[in-house]
Amino acid sequence: MKIVMCVKETPSTTAEKRFGADMRLERRKEDAIINPFDEYSIEEGLRQQEKHGGETIVLSMGPATATDTIRKALAMGADRGVLVSDPALAGSDAVATARVLAAALQKIGFDLVLFGSAAADAYGGIVPSAVAEFLGLPLLSFATKLDEDGTTAKIERQAEVGYNTVETQTPALVSVMKSINEPRYPSMKGIMQSKKKTIDTMSLADLGIESGTVGAGASGEKALSAEKITTQRKGEIYMGNDGAAERVVAFLVEQKVL
Amino acid sequence: MDFSLSDEQEMIRDMCREFAEEEIKPRAEELDRTGAFPYYIVRKMANLGLLGLPFPEEYGGAGADFLSYCLALEEIGRGDASVGITMEAHTSLGATPFYLFGTEEQKQQYLVPLARGEQLWAFGLTEPNAGSDSAGTETRAVKSNGVWHINGAKNFITNAGTDMTGGVTITAVTGRQSDGHKQITNFIVPQGTPGYLIGNPYHKMGWKASDTRPLSFEDCQVPDANRLGDEGDGFRQFMSILNAGRIAIAALSVGLAQACLDESLKYSRERQQFGRPIAAFQTIQFKLADMATEIELARNMYYKAAWLHMEGRPYTREASMAKLFASETAKRCADQAVQIHGGYGFMDEYPVSRFWRNVKVHEIGEGTSEVQRILIYKNL
Repeated sequence: MKIVMCVKETPSTTAEKRFGADMRLERRKEDAIINPFDEYSIEEGLRQQEKHGGETIVLSMGPATATDTIRKALAMGADRGVLVSDPALAGSDAVATARVLAAALQKIGFDLVLFGSAAADAYGGIVPSAVAEFLGLPLLSFATKLDEDGTTAKIERQAEVGYNTVETQTPALVSVMKSINEPRYPSMKGIMQSKKKTIDTMSLADLGIESGTVGAGASGEKALSAEKITTQRKGEIYMGNDGAAERVVAFLVEQKVL
Repeated sequence: MDFSLSDEQEMIRDMCREFAEEEIKPRAEELDRTGAFPYYIVRKMANLGLLGLPFPEEYGGAGADFLSYCLALEEIGRGDASVGITMEAHTSLGATPFYLFGTEEQKQQYLVPLARGEQLWAFGLTEPNAGSDSAGTETRAVKSNGVWHINGAKNFITNAGTDMTGGVTITAVTGRQSDGHKQITNFIVPQGTPGYLIGNPYHKMGWKASDTRPLSFEDCQVPDANRLGDEGDGFRQFMSILNAGRIAIAALSVGLAQACLDESLKYSRERQQFGRPIAAFQTIQFKLADMATEIELARNMYYKAAWLHMEGRPYTREASMAKLFASETAKRCADQAVQIHGGYGFMDEYPVSRFWRNVKVHEIGEGTSEVQRILIYKNL
């Protein structure tokens, strides 16, 4: 079985976000990490491989330096990496990204493609379904459990009450939730071996994609402004002996705590 | 000149930082309070290959270099010093002697399970009347019919009595050299050897969750196959082990110093006095700046000593300098960290009081600061 895990390099969740004049997030190499949501899809891919054998491939679209991020996924245990990198890709929105990933996936070949449910930079969450659309294949989204037997993939998806079971034929795409597993730490041996694993780089020409169909110019999604969200916590303090306890009780009743 | 770390070194450091943050730090207070050995953490570390970092894969290790091992120790020690010293004593003192001086058979039998982290191992040098003064060693081993009879006692031996411990390697006097000095030989004593008695854990001021015990040997018999290296090679062996171990202790001390700075930065930016965070006061800023500067210097010193060691160049002086400066830096940082925290720093609920208790032994273990100065002077 051939399993491809799609990963994105994102800024560390604790890094200060800065935006350029074009409202694009400035990405600094030293803040780059694997999108935390993708750690769950990498882990799930490795677990499926441990069960069924086959090959695990990490696919990413990003700047040339994103090989470092792919390398981290290889240290967790994936077999090899593919990076799609091309200057013309800068500024691609979710749909343009999906177009590129779909083309790369077709070139690589797969039985199962795994995604995190979103990326921790923009939280769009559109890419998995858009890739499925480009490929004309089913997406089992928001999986909290995945069973795969070589011909069918079956997931559980959290519902308001209980969960839904969704099943489809493979090849298929699956996006996973954080509750699906607990991602492993890269082992020391894994880290030492990661350097010996191959990471192939593909350009737009390699994928047969016209540069005019991707990148900032071809993207319908535009960021117009960005501002810091400030949350203000409002506390109410009831002072003194005069009725404070009653007001606390009334508040708790109002909140349906009592 | 190139100060950059390799990709592997960076990944190992980052992974250990994350592991310490998520798996060790949240448990450090409890470990200190109960003094219980951290099996859960140590077994996790074993599975990740952290107990055999600097040994080749063919012996069950990860095949990383010595600096990677030190970087890992710094990060693990930043999470908790007890866990850090457990890893250091196992790797530098327990496993390394087999790797450097063991026969191929001994490597297969002892080093492989240690590097895989299936077992821990201890090294017994210190005695009630001997430590850095190895001439005071009183434990004796006498050969009779091909069997060594060991009698004596060891003190302050780390990792000697855990459920995971496979045994201890000890120094013993086996005769006199032609110059009249005691001849010292190292012996492998597996757990359960008759006559090998493992005492109860000490009650300590810090490093509380590390396993440290007195050992005694009462006609403890081991075959000649349990001799590590040649007869009389013991002194050279432990000098070499301690030299490299000092770089590791320096790394561990930098980790502790960094933890002091981490907590001090956090606290001083939150704590409000006179209408502003105390970090807004220059007197606090100067303390933080001095801590950061000394940490940077101590870190560079252990990096360089590790580099010299990996390059096969002489490094005794630099190892002692790194150990001396890093442990004393950690002490100053712990002291200032408590000071910055004021009365809260004196309370157990803030980690800096634990750091302050832990740091003292960094100036003592694997050669006191005074012994480091002697070694440095000898190499001037």
